[in-house]
Amino acid sequence: MNAVGRILLIAAYAILGLAATGRSVVQITTKLSEAPLPYLVSGASALLYVLIAIALWRGWRRVAIVGTAVELVGVLVVGTLGYAAPELWPDETVWTGYGSAYGWVPLALPVIALVVLLRGRGADAEAVATPAD
Amino acid sequence: MGIYSAGIYPAVLVVSAVVVVLGGVTMAWIRAHRVLEWAVTALWIATGVQAIAVVVLLLSGNDAGLVLTIGYLLATIVILPLMGIGRLGAPDAAAADPDPNRPVLQPDQIARVDGGAAVIVGIAAAVLAWRIAIILGAA
Repeated sequence: MNAVGRILLIAAYAILGLAATGRSVVQITTKLSEAPLPYLVSGASALLYVLIAIALWRGWRRVAIVGTAVELVGVLVVGTLGYAAPELWPDETVWTGYGSAYGWVPLALPVIALVVLLRGRGADAEAVATPAD
Repeated sequence: MGIYSAGIYPAVLVVSAVVVVLGGVTMAWIRAHRVLEWAVTALWIATGVQAIAVVVLLLSGNDAGLVLTIGYLLATIVILPLMGIGRLGAPDAAAADPDPNRPVLQPDQIARVDGGAAVIVGIAAAVLAWRIAIILGAA
């Protein structure tokens, strides 16, 4: 995996994890009964961001790939349901509007991460298939 | 409040913008790394001044929510060390860590990592400053 890309992804996920954790902790501890589904989704997304950051840092590539794939699906599902079934979402989550409140970073980041992770896996496999003399 | 809204808050935004621009330039042209280091120091100073100003405003009876304001303020400070994350990949630093997954970076890679991290942290610092200003009623 590209070292520069990996470290920048760690930084991005760490900051997003910090933001989502802060937001969800305030929401869950102060007003969970008002909108349980959105606030629990925010909490789950925060845990996912922290897990992906740790996985990237520790070199757990499979965990990072699965985590970013789940993140991408989550952003797309929650973003779509926000328009298709707005009654389910009395308040916003990190993934509402495909992450529009966070500059669509929650949508762009998993795509970039998957490209970096999968391209790195392909490069590693190629290196194993054609070892140097 | 006047000094904060007219001086400190805009200064943080300007320094953050400079850090973002220099971070991007450093990723493309690593000789700008030295200039970026000066801008990073400026962001540390601006954030410190901002933190002091916000605490003074809170102590002087501002109606802002204490938990949210302090939370955003702490987040602003916590993200700053990420701007020097490239140093963790320096060969001597990596050699001291038994973790085999820790990347070892060349000098140009360290500069690019610092540049990318500066872009990310600069944007985050500006957003956090904006959120704090909104909570305080200064924006």
